Amino acid sequence: MSDTRPQGQPDEAMVDLLVKQVTEGLSPAEQRALDVMDSELASAYLRDLERAAAAVTLAGSTVEEPLPAALSARIEQQAAQHFAVASNVADLTEARSAAAEKTRLHQAAAPGRANRFGGYGWLAAAACLVLAIFSWERAPAPLPPVAEVPPAQPAPPTAAEERAALLAKTDSLKIPLGATKDPAAAGVTGDVVWDPVTQRGFLHFAGLAPNDPAMHQYQIWIFDAGRDKRYPVDGGVFDVPANASEVVIPIRASLMVRKPAAFAVTLEKPGGVVVSGREHVVALGATS
Amino acid sequence: MSPSVLQRIASGDSAAVRECIDQYGPLVWSIARRLSRTPADAEDATQEIFLDIWRSAGRFDAAQGSDKVFIAMIARRRLIDRLRKTSAEPPMDPVEVLDTIVWADPGTASETSIEAEQAARALAELRPEQRQVLELGLLHGLSQSEIATRLSMPLGTVKSFMRRGLIKVREFMNVDAEGVLSEG
Repeated sequence: MSDTRPQGQPDEAMVDLLVKQVTEGLSPAEQRALDVMDSELASAYLRDLERAAAAVTLAGSTVEEPLPAALSARIEQQAAQHFAVASNVADLTEARSAAAEKTRLHQAAAPGRANRFGGYGWLAAAACLVLAIFSWERAPAPLPPVAEVPPAQPAPPTAAEERAALLAKTDSLKIPLGATKDPAAAGVTGDVVWDPVTQRGFLHFAGLAPNDPAMHQYQIWIFDAGRDKRYPVDGGVFDVPANASEVVIPIRASLMVRKPAAFAVTLEKPGGVVVSGREHVVALGATS
Repeated sequence: MSPSVLQRIASGDSAAVRECIDQYGPLVWSIARRLSRTPADAEDATQEIFLDIWRSAGRFDAAQGSDKVFIAMIARRRLIDRLRKTSAEPPMDPVEVLDTIVWADPGTASETSIEAEQAARALAELRPEQRQVLELGLLHGLSQSEIATRLSMPLGTVKSFMRRGLIKVREFMNVDAEGVLSEG
C-alpha cells in the first residue's frame, strides 16, 4: 500500500463497529459511537475491511448474470446526462474563471478548453442549440396563449404484442399450459412464453373462468430447478374480466429464475399469498 | 501500463463509459441481485451504483487495488445503504440462494482479479462454519443477528467469525498485518 497509515491499533470495540459497518451498516447510535473514536485510524481500517469484503464478494461471484439490455441502455443514457451536466458545469466554471482573468489582465478571452466528454458534451451543446433555435423562433411574434398539445407518443405495445416479440426471440421458451380438474379450469388452454435472459414472460390463456377480484385472484408460480419445490417463485397476481375470451398476462418474477422447470396458476385470496396452499391449481405446464 | 477503464473515465474518455458498463455490468448486476429484495430493487440499485462509479472514478488509485475491487466496494456500499433504508428484512431467502454460490478456486481466481484470488486463499483456510458466516453476511446480505438465528449460533460467535474471517482476508491482501486484532 502506498498510503501513509496512521499509528496505533484499533481496539475491539472499533473493529466490531467497522465490521458491522462493512457488512450491514450502522444504526445512528452506533455511528455516533464510532464518530467519537479516532477518525483517522477508523477510516484507514474501514478502507481495508471494505476491500476485504469486496474481495470476498468477488471470490463468491464466479458466476455473473448478464446485465439486462434495457437496463444497460438506461445506465448509458444516465451516464450521458451525468457527463453532459458535469461537462457544462466545468465549462461554465472555466468560462467564469476566464472572464475574471480577462478583466484582471485586460487581455483577450482565454482560450477554450477541450471538452472532457466530447461526445456527451456535443450532445448537450446540440440540445442547447435546439432549445435556443426554438426559443428564438417563438420570440418575435407573441401569440395568444393556446393549450399545449403534448407531443405525439407512440402507443405502448400491448401485452399481446410484447408476448409476440418475446416469442420471436431465439432464446425464449414456450411451454404449453394444461388445465387441471379444478372447476375454474374447465376448458382452459394456454401457454407460457419466457425469456431466461431478461427474466420476462407472459401467460396466454383462453377459457379461464372470470374471477371476482374482491374475492379471489389468480396467482402465477414459477418452479425453479435450482430451488426447493415447496417454495416456487411468485410471478404476480392477475384477474380475468367477465367478458374476456383470451388474456395475456405479464409475469413479474419476484426472484431470479435460473432454470424454470414448471409454471403454475393458482386461485388465491386477493393480493396473492406468500406460500400457496395449492387448493386451487387451475393450470400447470412443465418445461420437459 | 495502459490506464484502466476507470482512469480513462476520469480523464474524460467517453468511450470508456460504454466499456465500463460492458465490462462490469454483469458483476454489478449479480451483486445487486443478491443483495436486493426484488428484481426492480436490483435494477434501481444498479443504476445508482453506476452513477456512484461515474462520480468516484477520479478517486480510483491503481496502487490501492484493481478497478474490479474498487467497483465491488462502491456496489456494496450502495446496496448496504439501500438495505438499511428500505427494511430490516433480508433481501432474499438465503437458504434458497446458498446453493448457487460457487466460490472461486484459489488456483485460478487470479483470472478474475488478484484480490479474488487472495480472498479465495484466505477462505480456504477458514473452518466451514466461519466461511458460512462470511457467505451469509457478505454474499446474501444477512445481518449478524439473522445469521445467529439461522445457524442457531450465539451472536458473539457470529461476530467473532465475521471479524476473524475479514481480518484473515485482509492479511492475505498484503495489508499491514500489524493492525487490527492479531486474532484469526
